[in-house]
Amino acid sequence: MIGFWAILKRELWSLWVTPLAWVLLFVFLGLQGTSFYLLVEHFSKSPDLGLNEGPIQSYFASLFVPVSLLLVCPALSMRVFADERRQGTLETLLTAPVSALSVVLGKYCATLFTYWAMWLPTLLYVVILRDSGVVDWGLVGSSYLGVALLGAAYLAVGTLMSALTQSQLVAMLLTTLTLFGLFILGIGERVFDPGPLLDVSSHVSVLGQLEDFSKGVVDSRRLVFDATLIWFPLFLCVRIVDGWRLD
Amino acid sequence: MIEARHLTKRYGSHVAVSDLVFTVGAGEVVGFLGPNGAGKSTTLRMLSGYLGPSSGDALIAGINVVDEPLLARQKLGYMPEECPVYPELRVSEYLRFRAELKRVARSRRTSAIGRALELAGLSERQGSIVGHLSKGYRQRLGLADALLSDPPLLILDEPTSGLDPNQIREVRAVIRGLAEQHTVLLSTHILPEVEVTCDRALVIHRGHLVAQGSLEELRSRGAARSAVLVVRVPTELTLPEALKTRRTAKRALDGGYEEWEVAVDNGRDGLAALSEQLWQLGISVAEARLGGARLEEVFLELTRTEPLAS
Repeated sequence: MIGFWAILKRELWSLWVTPLAWVLLFVFLGLQGTSFYLLVEHFSKSPDLGLNEGPIQSYFASLFVPVSLLLVCPALSMRVFADERRQGTLETLLTAPVSALSVVLGKYCATLFTYWAMWLPTLLYVVILRDSGVVDWGLVGSSYLGVALLGAAYLAVGTLMSALTQSQLVAMLLTTLTLFGLFILGIGERVFDPGPLLDVSSHVSVLGQLEDFSKGVVDSRRLVFDATLIWFPLFLCVRIVDGWRLD
Repeated sequence: MIEARHLTKRYGSHVAVSDLVFTVGAGEVVGFLGPNGAGKSTTLRMLSGYLGPSSGDALIAGINVVDEPLLARQKLGYMPEECPVYPELRVSEYLRFRAELKRVARSRRTSAIGRALELAGLSERQGSIVGHLSKGYRQRLGLADALLSDPPLLILDEPTSGLDPNQIREVRAVIRGLAEQHTVLLSTHILPEVEVTCDRALVIHRGHLVAQGSLEELRSRGAARSAVLVVRVPTELTLPEALKTRRTAKRALDGGYEEWEVAVDNGRDGLAALSEQLWQLGISVAEARLGGARLEEVFLELTRTEPLAS
């Protein structure tokens, strides 16, 4: 893992000194703020709801979360390899004494930490709600775990796609298409009749995961799915980076 | 310091580099010469570990680049042809990143960066954003990067391309200065560069190594053909074999004649003997060109002809 920290720091630096991360942060927080505002307004009109249907649950299980992830994650991960290849900096990077694993993980973690950092300001919403009611911190924790893992999986897919092309735009489109396909497949959970199709759909359902985690249900099946979606693309990506030497 | 053992790189059916065998000894400055597209960059990329060879391998300071790429890469500083760098960083930030990547100890990083900046003549630009540097300064940044970890071996791919004459002279002086403590392999298609900076040259043409040796040795290959006679020969004339093999070019003329260029060896003595031989055959000499043994001529001759297929 030598070189990992150097690459991580460089990637974070490059993300935050260029406008990209700030633009994405702006879009992301705009969406989250809108979602939160709409929910709070809705709940202020119906004050007698049970704990399980509070604003935090609705906030994390709303469509705003997957939509903002579909917008932000592909854009965050699109440049990690595509840009290196287009600029030719890959040659200097890969002739330094670093392993492909360090390169892939360093770049991936930079996008992941940036993504996690984007969620930090939303903790303010919880603070705001705490002033006007009881907040179940367990639910808050599991909800954040849900979006943190889902984003991690999305970014892993994005990192892989970025290694497949020299064009950031193509990388972003490939990622969005893949993730959107997965999202649509998950919606099948609410459409299909019981059977193998329904099983598959409910297994990969993004909305299902967000709903479960927002209720404090941390199902190991979801964790395995997320871990697979993180590990497998990154594994492929390491193989691809190693394979560039043999082109 | 470098031992290339049958290095070969194929792209599908195209052979970019074919069965390269050469060594570069410690402390040597060796020029890697060849026309554009000869396979210079491909070879250097294989030595630096960026490309894996299709077959064969190479040792860098005794370490196999194929089997132990990370160890081998620690022994060398590599400057790629276009000097690609991250445009959003400052010069000093970029070098700090590279120093960390190259495992320069934390306590030595600042001094290593200072030394590299100074050697590459970049000290006054260390606060500049890399994306704002001119091509010449970017090239120097690539050189500074290669020097950072003070590796025993430097591999420089066209280190002076894109520089103005003053910068070229400076960079050459830097390379010459480095030669005292480093082994340098630099590629170029500019012949004076080799004559100014190198002790020895490898000449590559269409992926094949067509010559190698000290500059003196290479020049002496040219000395063997230090003159050329242009002669007019009747087309139907049967010539002795010895004369035919000396022919280097042929052009048909009107009236049943051909114009030949015949190479002369052994300088003036050879010239006299050959003229006499031609005179006896009734062939008139239209022109005699005495050429000094210049590296350029050797280079042209080595890279003009089709190399033998392997």
